[in-house]
Amino acid sequence: MSRPAIEVRNLSHRYTTDPVLRDINLTIEQGEVFGFLGHNGAGKTTAINILTTLIAPTSGTAMVNGHDVVAERNRVTAGIGYLPAEVRMYPHMTAAENLVFFAELSGVSKPHEAVAETLEYLECSELADRRLGSFSTGMRQRIGIAQAIVHRPQVLFLDEPTAGLDPMGVRQLRETILRLNADLGMTVFMNTHLLSEVAQVCTTIGVLSHGELIYKDSIEETVRRFPDEASLEDIYARMESATP
Amino acid sequence: MSSPSSTISVNTATSTPGHRVLVIARHEYRAAVRSRILIVLLGILVVATAASVFIASAEYAGRLADYQAYRAAAEAGGVARIAPSPLAPLSLLRGAMEYLEIIGAVVAIALGYLSVSRERSNRTLPLLLSRPVTPTELAAGNLLGALGVIATLVAVTAVVAMLCVGFIGHDWLNGIQLFKLALAYVAAVAYMGVFYCVGAIAAAKSKVAITGLMIALGIWLVVVLVLPQIGDTLDADNQIPGGLFAALGLGHDGEVRILAHFTTYETIRTSIETASFAKHFERFAFAMTDVKERFRSLSLPDLFFQVRTDIAWILAYSIVLVIGLLRAFRKQPTVPQGGQQ
Repeated sequence: MSRPAIEVRNLSHRYTTDPVLRDINLTIEQGEVFGFLGHNGAGKTTAINILTTLIAPTSGTAMVNGHDVVAERNRVTAGIGYLPAEVRMYPHMTAAENLVFFAELSGVSKPHEAVAETLEYLECSELADRRLGSFSTGMRQRIGIAQAIVHRPQVLFLDEPTAGLDPMGVRQLRETILRLNADLGMTVFMNTHLLSEVAQVCTTIGVLSHGELIYKDSIEETVRRFPDEASLEDIYARMESATP
Repeated sequence: MSSPSSTISVNTATSTPGHRVLVIARHEYRAAVRSRILIVLLGILVVATAASVFIASAEYAGRLADYQAYRAAAEAGGVARIAPSPLAPLSLLRGAMEYLEIIGAVVAIALGYLSVSRERSNRTLPLLLSRPVTPTELAAGNLLGALGVIATLVAVTAVVAMLCVGFIGHDWLNGIQLFKLALAYVAAVAYMGVFYCVGAIAAAKSKVAITGLMIALGIWLVVVLVLPQIGDTLDADNQIPGGLFAALGLGHDGEVRILAHFTTYETIRTSIETASFAKHFERFAFAMTDVKERFRSLSLPDLFFQVRTDIAWILAYSIVLVIGLLRAFRKQPTVPQGGQQ
């Protein structure tokens, strides 16, 4: 059996005195599309920041592709792609220049070819030579995804990827995630509070409430376990209302 | 709309720290070259240098013509020993060195501040550090890129200055003079590199980068303008025009005898001067460019011996500030602390 894509044990984090994450235990297998649900301020972004090595946890361990996020930082970052909640990058550079820069940092052997192929895959080659400063939110999001996958990572972290997108943008993003998962077997870890997205894209969900992981299971099992609820939204509301 | 690609190939991605540092350095260089603020500052420096050397060269051309006329007359009159030229074309670069010392330091601080504030305002730090890039590599790459920008700037001012001396002053620098000039400009790159570190460290350590810029400019004010002046102002001999001891009719021995009663005062005054990094650069640059007459007749080894302390101080400041820069980047928060959960 292959090692899990993500394995978190007794993970806690605090910025000041109040804990943001409390004793999280979580395993995500290779090839899963994991939806991390939670209200604003639940600790989802902190979790993603720890898993992408941007901050060190206060206690506990987190492994990505079998590598510890603190002790083996470079091995972890070599195998992940990250799309932050707000994609900014370098506005004075063109989309292609931005992407080549990030591809080179990851050591991609033929960065220009990889960028052209990635943009074509995401159906946005026409954006290549335009400066990022002139882009709409949707365009920036697509270049942000290109940035996250240009080096073909095994695990892709998306932080609220649908924020600010119009319905067409949301639909395109959904299709892209499914294609990446199908074509490259990419594991996807997605922070969101949009349950409609989770229902259509994710294979597994986790629910974070006030820093605690209160639920984790496959979508199928979740629906089976809560037969009385009409939708995932109802299930989520029931879970949240059950927490103190 | 491009035609969609149904498949995507898998890249084999591996990178070494050296490669990543070079990629960041190239990126930093490109960003600096595209920055309007920086271009304006660089323009001011180049124009100021050109103007200063141009004016000095124009005046020098007259003195050189006088000397050549004297020499021609002496040769025609059969004078056996003709006095060598007292002129030093390298000394025409005094103004250029002073502008590098003052404006160059501000440009370097701006470079350092911009390299940190740009990442912050673009919010690209998390993206960079989610790659196999360490904060140390980021700092090293930024520094290398900035040194590239500084070296380009210094090279432009050097070429402009050289051409002014040649075309306006009608005196072309020989091999040894060019070598000394190159050494002065290498010191200028190190000097500006230190101020780049000051700007970057102050910005990286401040929650709001502009506060860091203010702090760095405060340091510049003290180190470049105040400290070197204190040394001169507190010098007893500088209290009246022409020199206090000369006015009292005391020779060098008399001056030494009197100052022996003020050793603590003199130690403090010298220490203040020594603490100024700018003063060490100025002494080295002036020695290399024949600004000080007492250095003009010295051979290169003797010249190096005379400025060994200044070289040591420039190296020491450079090492300390580079270490400081690496530490500041390592401790810089990559994401807003506690703001976003």
